[in-house]
Amino acid sequence: MAEEEDDPGFDEDLDDGGNGVDSGQGKRKRLFSKELRCMMYGFGDDQNPYTESVDILEDLVIEFITEMTHKAMSIGRQGRVQVEDIVFLIRKDPRKFARVKDLLTMNEELKKTLKAFDEANYGS
Amino acid sequence: MADPARVRPEAGRPEPGEGSCSSTSSEPAAKPRSAAAAAAEEEEEEGSSSLHPSPAKKLKMEHDKKKEKRQKVDEDEIQKMQVLVSSFSEEQLNRYEMYRRSAFPKAAIKRLIQSITGSSVSQNVVIAMSGISKVFTGEIVEEALDVCEKWGDKPPLQPKHMREAVRRLRSREQSPNTKHKHILFH
Repeated sequence: MAEEEDDPGFDEDLDDGGNGVDSGQGKRKRLFSKELRCMMYGFGDDQNPYTESVDILEDLVIEFITEMTHKAMSIGRQGRVQVEDIVFLIRKDPRKFARVKDLLTMNEELKKTLKAFDEANYGS
Repeated sequence: MADPARVRPEAGRPEPGEGSCSSTSSEPAAKPRSAAAAAAEEEEEEGSSSLHPSPAKKLKMEHDKKKEKRQKVDEDEIQKMQVLVSSFSEEQLNRYEMYRRSAFPKAAIKRLIQSITGSSVSQNVVIAMSGISKVFTGEIVEEALDVCEKWGDKPPLQPKHMREAVRRLRSREQSPNTKHKHILFH
């Protein structure tokens, strides 16, 4: 099972503080604890979710991002992650696809509005 | 299940869920903008009021009509959402606010992606990835709540619910699964 052995090794690379020498996954500093708690409450969990559940979720999210990044690096322009690649990878999942489209559209509109606002201010 | 966050134009600005309650609502900005756009489209239709418009004009008119219809449906949805939110209890309002405002910190996501690729990534990539990750956690939490209810337990969610939720999502292929290699010809 070479793949399973790769995971703990890979997590060690991401370790910032360098304390997790032997076991990788547990000793890494928690990146999203606060935000994940708020998110879990927003999605329907209790106001104080269990720490173990938050930890499991964080590991899942990091695994998800890692996998997406690897896949995106292997398609389109190799070695780089671009938005088009992410959109392509997500195309089968309707919720995520719609969300990405919305976010990018809103970001564009926001940038346009801010740019127009700045130019108006600069002119006067 | 309709994602309420899809409807509002201002929903895309995720802010860190530190509990800060200053609500800078840009909703009033959305309404005058769409009203102005509708007025502009009406003017255009007035100009091409001849009996036999050219095919190009016809296409444009159809496109404008579709856009108007979509905007109207959007506005309907916005109104319905407003009615719904105005009837929330305090606990529901709290939860809704957390649902909208919670987001992953962009810096951490950017650092994570860059540590994997080894090169820098654009801001849009970070935005897209944070958005998808939030949807992903939502799917897991909702599935875990289903499992919890089905097993007769109560929230807060326990690790066994989360693991069962992930197992179900993976079997439905909604969650990435790298443990099995697809070998085509063997």
